[in-house]
Amino acid sequence: MESTVVDMAANDAAYDALAPDLQSLVIDQTEHQGQVALTCKAEHQRQLLEHFRNEQGYDYLVDVTAMDHLGMDRPERFEVVYVLRRIGASGHQFRLHVWLSEDQAELPSVFDLWDSARWGERETHDMFGIVFQGNPDLRRLLMPEDYPAFPLLKDYPLKGAGERRQFTRVVPRGDQMVEEEPEDYPTSIGRGMHTPEYEEEVRRDSKPR
Amino acid sequence: MGLESLISGEGFLTTTVNSIVNWGRKNALWPMPFGTACCAIEMMATFSGRYDISRFGAEVVRFSPRQADLLIVSGRISLKMMPVLQKIYRQMPEPKWVISMGACASCGGVFDTYTLIQGVDQFMPVDVYVPGCPPRPESLLDALFEIQKLVGQERLDSGKHGS
Repeated sequence: MESTVVDMAANDAAYDALAPDLQSLVIDQTEHQGQVALTCKAEHQRQLLEHFRNEQGYDYLVDVTAMDHLGMDRPERFEVVYVLRRIGASGHQFRLHVWLSEDQAELPSVFDLWDSARWGERETHDMFGIVFQGNPDLRRLLMPEDYPAFPLLKDYPLKGAGERRQFTRVVPRGDQMVEEEPEDYPTSIGRGMHTPEYEEEVRRDSKPR
Repeated sequence: MGLESLISGEGFLTTTVNSIVNWGRKNALWPMPFGTACCAIEMMATFSGRYDISRFGAEVVRFSPRQADLLIVSGRISLKMMPVLQKIYRQMPEPKWVISMGACASCGGVFDTYTLIQGVDQFMPVDVYVPGCPPRPESLLDALFEIQKLVGQERLDSGKHGS
């Protein structure tokens, strides 16, 4: 029976197959438990992905996601992750990590290389606010369409910024139901996480358990 | 000797309109299941053979709110789902009752996060809460009995659902 564990020896394949000029674009190469990750800068993301798709036959984009390294000692705030796989005998899989600055949180879309990028990029935009230029459909995916924030950012409060309390109430009045506007809660949108206002809001919002 | 022998021939009984309407309503509740999470599994078990909610007259499960008078909210309600739930509630004809089943629907449960409503009763009326994570079918049946008690106390000329 063929093992599903990725062959360790094949793991450098993606990097080794790169021409020397492309190898110089890879600024870091790590391996953890048989999983290889290559790292590059934002400006080289499109060039490398095109190469992996067209020259090396990585025909399946498993996922696009991101990490927010706010407050950590990293080159940039955002790290966008592409998980690439070859469908076929080797089934080889690796990740391409792309450093992305907070000031210019934009990357070219790769939906023309892999159709599955449409969904991954849309979700990453929904959660982190990263813009994938050229993606035709970056509407909200998981969050409501009018949601004002990007909830997986580290400076977004864990309990939200008041959105979950701002619904119209349906209350019985005599023989009919009427709508009441929600109470006016001040929210901590845009104020960062550890301000006194936010701490106060968390305290007010905490329920006895 | 059954009721038939008592009312056969010239038999009659005396009651009030209020009593007989309440008697009819509480023994023929039509639930609208709003299952969004694992509580819905227990709700389905309550509806089906082993626990058999039809023993208590509530077996006509309606998937259109326009035909139901008991809304069973069983599961987590997210930001995106709350307007839907409110719309469904408002589509139900009066009189109507609501069971908030399980910890999540009643208070958010363990999910104290940006995306989850911390209790549907903040934004719509709830008559009976069922504790548990998830509650067993017996608990939901008990909630139905509580609803039946509430229905039995209704007055046609006044009260919460009077007109």
